[in-house]
Amino acid sequence: MTGPLFPAQEIGSLMKPRWQILGQHGDPLDDRARAEFASANARTHFAADAATAAEALLDGRSKDAGADGVRDLGALFALRLFETAGLTRVYDGEARRIEMYEYPIRQMRGFQFQGHVRSFDNKYYLKAAVTDEVRLERPYHVEEFDFVRRHAHGVPKLPITGPYTLADWSYNEYYLARRSGWKGPAARRAAQREFVVDLAQRALRPTLAALIDHGCRVIQIDEPAAGTHPEEADLVVEGFNAATDGLDAEFSMHICYSDYRALLPQLLEAKRCRQWAWEFANRDRDGRDGYEVLAALRDYGDTREVGLGVVDVHRDEVEAPDLVADRIRRAVKYLGDPSRIWVNPDCGLRTRRLDIATRKLEAVVAGAALARADFERPNA
Amino acid sequence: MIVRTGLTGPFPRSESLVAATRDLDRGRATAEAVEDLYSRTEGEVVALERRLGFDTITGGYLRWADLFRPFAETWDGLTVGPLTRWFETNTFYRQPILHAPPARVKGAIASRLPPALRDAPAQAGVILPGPYTFAGLLENRSGEAEEALVLRLGRLLADELKELTGLGYATFQFSEPLLVDRPPERALAEAVVTAYASVHGAAPSATTLVWTYGADAVPAFPLLDRLPVSAVGVDLAETDWESIPATAERRGLGLGVVDPRTTLVEESADVVRIVHALKERRRPTAVWLGPGGPLDLVPWEPATRKLHLLPAARQALARDDGGRP
Repeated sequence: MTGPLFPAQEIGSLMKPRWQILGQHGDPLDDRARAEFASANARTHFAADAATAAEALLDGRSKDAGADGVRDLGALFALRLFETAGLTRVYDGEARRIEMYEYPIRQMRGFQFQGHVRSFDNKYYLKAAVTDEVRLERPYHVEEFDFVRRHAHGVPKLPITGPYTLADWSYNEYYLARRSGWKGPAARRAAQREFVVDLAQRALRPTLAALIDHGCRVIQIDEPAAGTHPEEADLVVEGFNAATDGLDAEFSMHICYSDYRALLPQLLEAKRCRQWAWEFANRDRDGRDGYEVLAALRDYGDTREVGLGVVDVHRDEVEAPDLVADRIRRAVKYLGDPSRIWVNPDCGLRTRRLDIATRKLEAVVAGAALARADFERPNA
Repeated sequence: MIVRTGLTGPFPRSESLVAATRDLDRGRATAEAVEDLYSRTEGEVVALERRLGFDTITGGYLRWADLFRPFAETWDGLTVGPLTRWFETNTFYRQPILHAPPARVKGAIASRLPPALRDAPAQAGVILPGPYTFAGLLENRSGEAEEALVLRLGRLLADELKELTGLGYATFQFSEPLLVDRPPERALAEAVVTAYASVHGAAPSATTLVWTYGADAVPAFPLLDRLPVSAVGVDLAETDWESIPATAERRGLGLGVVDPRTTLVEESADVVRIVHALKERRRPTAVWLGPGGPLDLVPWEPATRKLHLLPAARQALARDDGGRP
């Protein structure tokens, strides 16, 4: 990595502002939404690049602004929020996406949505079954990326759901049904491997290639399901390699809330992965050193970059820059080389209110500056 | 050969119940309207269970947020803790936190059983957490050692059975995924056997099942075969059935033949083949066929579709057995 130490990057989605949700539905803005819009615009001037839609929205004509126009505004808002906070790599806060599973699956053939499954309490998610060979309808996220590229001042970094997670969050019918007899553990594993590799080769790879053709240089493959079945770490890797092999971009892999040691050393076989973007701040409490797991990378001799989670996205309490700096210093202690470290929140900040998310991002940048001063000081 | 069928865990909520409970959280539906829908949906599950000829009726346990919640919310010494992943699934439970030695509250669990079961307790399948899984998955801040806690929970569950059998309930399933995910050894294994002995002693005439799922049960069989229960169940999507050991101990064998991780419907011919092979090897007193684990890992419609395997397999087995049910 060249440039100043500890550059900051986005890692995932932001909460959608109230004015975006109301506007997308064609509802007029209420006073609260209008005030939030005005306050954000005064700070970042995000609406300047979509003035017509902004004018219609503020004028009570949400329908005239149109859902797409409002989404443009939402994307600009997030982009400017990241940039104003001081991030080097930015995106649109996934302002156009509802979630990370259903949208990609709807861009493919071979799937049928089956209904809702309870995640916990009264929270559910929609789940599809693969009932035929996976085929890509058309590469996705491309228009979204084009918009970001046109408007970003920083370097665009695109997040995309990885093949292993898409497979794990789907029901495997087609590939399982191709095996005769009882579908025991061996049959299930073999069928899952075929599914992951097909998703990687037939859907992810052409999508990544299209994005790269459009100028996308930095891509984060999200594999939140990787930690669910540690014994399938080799499938995560196989999917990653099948999707990225021979493609020219800087790839990272984001995995959160996992026992990373259980995924090693298999994960290290992800050939084109240049950066591990993991969560650490969440586990850095109650006297535990959340960054100690980085020693495992050192022990295996892995020298890739690390996207270091330095703020917890599940707590409202905003980390002090001193704490962020301390976390970075500890990470350096385990990794040895400060130039390998990028800093970011643990995961997407969509669970936090926007004012808290903003302050957490500012803490990331301020903490990085403190740590940078240590390491760049002569004789440090 | 006696073949029994039934659910082995919660059934998924219907799409209308999904929508209603979401609306309730968002303030768009009243508690009364959702309660009414719960009752109707439980009625639909019971009707399905009867239509499929199940030996036990559960009503689907639609209101239970997770296996432990009724206990964490009512028993003394426990509180409801943080969201925690449920084994290797994309679902979560709220981890109970044990602050002090737990104590049951009389009537608390009986009142949380699906209302649809209260009218016909003799046919009901009561699904409870097993003492080992309960002890192993809570956050133990009580200071009590795990072995002692397993024994204590065994005694408390035994008291629970005593109360429930007094109300007419007769069939109890203890869900024990942890027994195969992390099989206990030495003193802990002995504590598990003793805990189930307490349960058996409290209700010797009750039918008791220990149902394991989510991992290969083969390594746990030496222990499973020692448990003083009517039957032990294993998840055949995770367990290589050909490696299930023979046994001299004759008891019931539960086979999780409906895989809750896929919407693909299993073939009854495969089930029949497996049952015949295991019948030779283990000579079970009865075979219990059911889902490999909680069927709420699939949505309502495919869950319903998949359950039709059970009467089909039972019928085929009866045919092979000369028509005897």
